[in-house]
Amino acid sequence: MNKGKIFKLAKGFRGRAKNCIRIARERVEKALQYSYRDRRNKKRDMRSLWIQRINAGTRLHGVNYGNFMHGLMKENIQLNRKVLSEISMHEPYSFKSLVDISRNTFPGNKNVVIPPRKVAI
Amino acid sequence: MALLCGSTSVTPFLSHNNVVATTTSTKSSFVGFQLPLPKLTLSSSVRTLLPQTSRVRFQQDSSAPVAEDPRFVCVEPEPRFKGPDIWNKTWYPKAADHVNTEKTWYVVDATDKVLGRLASTIAIHIRGKNLPTYTPSVDMGAFVIVVNAEKIAVSGKKRTQKLYRRHSGRPGGMTVETFAQLQNRIPERIIEHAVRGMLPKGRLGRRLFTHLKVYKGPDHPHAAQKPVELPIRDKRIELKK
Repeated sequence: MNKGKIFKLAKGFRGRAKNCIRIARERVEKALQYSYRDRRNKKRDMRSLWIQRINAGTRLHGVNYGNFMHGLMKENIQLNRKVLSEISMHEPYSFKSLVDISRNTFPGNKNVVIPPRKVAI
Repeated sequence: MALLCGSTSVTPFLSHNNVVATTTSTKSSFVGFQLPLPKLTLSSSVRTLLPQTSRVRFQQDSSAPVAEDPRFVCVEPEPRFKGPDIWNKTWYPKAADHVNTEKTWYVVDATDKVLGRLASTIAIHIRGKNLPTYTPSVDMGAFVIVVNAEKIAVSGKKRTQKLYRRHSGRPGGMTVETFAQLQNRIPERIIEHAVRGMLPKGRLGRRLFTHLKVYKGPDHPHAAQKPVELPIRDKRIELKK
């Protein structure tokens, strides 16, 4: 029966949402909507986490994420962010060599001349 | 692909190939496939010869099933490593990876440092955002001790104009203090207020806040934790006189 399926999906819910069918039905419907949405969000969140980890790893070597990825793209190194984050965590010397490659290709924008600020008359 | 991704014995090859590739040619090809794995290169070279013969055979007798040639049967080679797949799944810290007793302790002297910039650096270290093992749901950061809290500096006229408000919850219960008054009364609260605003709000944020230790004078009771000097990369953190 549908009720049985609903209660099976409602395991672990808080309060009456796991026991009473009227409340459980609502909560389970919402839970299924959330899981649909979050199957798509999980891909975004994971990529964001990889980028944050890579950023932290490169800043240990004095390069920020943007310049690092720019250097890698220029060298046509097609390692994806997942793998780069795993390398930065578990293989620090390999990651340092990647950072050095990127730095050689693209040393950063320290030599960019910023035009002087125009003072209001 | 899982087999090509690194074990520790393979990644030194990866770095070596990277160096070789850049010195010989400006445009390095896809490095992953240059790894010398004997078994797979043999079968892949054989497979590239395959298409010409099998396609001809297929067109001639499409109804009869193709004879199983033992060379081209798709067989997964024996996996080299048994156990969880740590190469294709994003790492998540286990309980042993964030034990409080093994975390780093940092100490920083707040004398003549700009309040917000110091608080930002402290919050980054407490949250663990400077580490490549950063995880937002887990407390991976370090402990930070701040000494000489009463000597913290602010720029401009904030010393007399910055207001700290608190409300007791009852009507008419708002108390407003200036920076200078609070500094005379409870100087630690200034830095605590600043750092708390920069940490995440929630259960984990409240726990992270307990990793901040602020003291009024130049000494602190945590010598047994052997705190290290906090590395500050902000160039404008020292107040310019």
